[in-house]
Amino acid sequence: MTQDLPGHDWQQEDGLHINVQGLQPPEPMLGILGRIDSLTAPAQVTVHHDRDPIYLYPELAERGWSWEIVPGEPGEVRLILRKRP
Amino acid sequence: MTNAALFLGGAKQRLLPASLPFRFFVTASVFHAAAWATLLAAAGDLPGFAGGTGLVLAALHLMTIGVLLMTAMGASYQLLPVATGAPIGRLWAIRLSHLLLVIGTILLTLGMALSGPALMATGALTVIAALALFAGLAIGNIRHAGKAMPLVAAHGWGALLSLAVFAGLGLLLVLDFSGGFLSDHVGLARAHMLWAAWGFMGLLAFGFSQVLVPMFALARSVPRRAGWIELTASLVALLAGGVGFAAQIPALVVLAGVGTLSGAAGYLWQMRAALKSRMRKRLGTPFVLIRLSWAMLAAGLVLALSMLALPSWENGPALAGFWLLVGWLLSFLTGVLQKIMPFLASMHAVGRGGRPALQSDLTLQAPLRLHLICHILALALISAGLAFSVTPLILAGAFAGFLGSLGFLWFAIFVVSRLR
Repeated sequence: MTQDLPGHDWQQEDGLHINVQGLQPPEPMLGILGRIDSLTAPAQVTVHHDRDPIYLYPELAERGWSWEIVPGEPGEVRLILRKRP
Repeated sequence: MTNAALFLGGAKQRLLPASLPFRFFVTASVFHAAAWATLLAAAGDLPGFAGGTGLVLAALHLMTIGVLLMTAMGASYQLLPVATGAPIGRLWAIRLSHLLLVIGTILLTLGMALSGPALMATGALTVIAALALFAGLAIGNIRHAGKAMPLVAAHGWGALLSLAVFAGLGLLLVLDFSGGFLSDHVGLARAHMLWAAWGFMGLLAFGFSQVLVPMFALARSVPRRAGWIELTASLVALLAGGVGFAAQIPALVVLAGVGTLSGAAGYLWQMRAALKSRMRKRLGTPFVLIRLSWAMLAAGLVLALSMLALPSWENGPALAGFWLLVGWLLSFLTGVLQKIMPFLASMHAVGRGGRPALQSDLTLQAPLRLHLICHILALALISAGLAFSVTPLILAGAFAGFLGSLGFLWFAIFVVSRLR
């Protein structure tokens, strides 16, 4: 299912990672929301983006997710998303 | 730091202060009510309207400049920096362009209603000053788009070119009301309408749809090739129609008609593909209006083209124009505004516990339902009134439109009241 979504993902010890770098809007939003909507349990998700995705935030808030921008690679905007209890 | 503060802090370059886009949206909502009220007063003059000063022309420009252009400018100021990743420029210039557009719209439409050439000319020049500021800011931004979103940027360039043409033609037409120097006022008026409705508003609507419709529906991005076909056909239509109307060359006018139909087909194909792949199943009231706008776009173009074959139907051009202006563009923009206003507001408003406010808490269904029902009623009643030349139907339709616009204004004021 997630293969059909824009971007790619992988699992690490800290949870799911989603890379949507290089995609044109609104594909990053679709890639991120499509994946977090399919998660069944509360989780932490790390997003690797190339811009601050300001239009994603209202959608995250609506779904009960919080977010935090953390240091990433040069040219990368890295976000940690957490499902609020 | 709260999430809201975090993302506002990280996106200052691209997210304008809320007061900037919202001043355009609220003003557009006020002019929306004023346009319907003016049409209500002019209902008897609408059948057979073929130009000239008076209340119908004033209502037309309250709708086109006061609502459509006002919304387009406010939305462009907010959407362009997000699409291109570059800042929009100086905020004072945005505020000034809004002020000039408000003053210019009032003076121009007052001049049209009272048939006052000096008021009209002053209003037209003030609107052009607002457009020049807007164009300068938009050019500065799109120039930095680079390789990002080439289709959106190309539509932006096309819209800006159209803006220069329709504004120049509009000024000539206004000056001609007192000077009488144009040999073919009606032909130039048609070229002005084509470049304003299809060139400026249409290309902006097509361009921003590439991002907004997939974003609202959570759909894969639209097929790009159909978008380039749409843009090429649209530009051919503008050039052919502009020359065809101005120089009275019927073959070029027909080519323009074919171009607009081909452009619309490409665009509607894209939108169909986007909606087919959407993740969001319930699209709500805004998409009832957006889908209605797509149907009216096709119907309006077919009717406008058939007028070339049936030129004797006196109310045909007015009906086609009404379907395209109110049926297509107004339905589309009010649908988009219903989505975008709570969406933008949620980025600025702070909800309970310092968290960002939810879009669902920033919208009101009752006024939106009122607007939707009244808007559809207005379309149906005025269409029937124009088709059969029945003034009471036009009167009832304009009243429904006015009532719906009050519902929309209620919604706009509610959203703004939630901003802190």
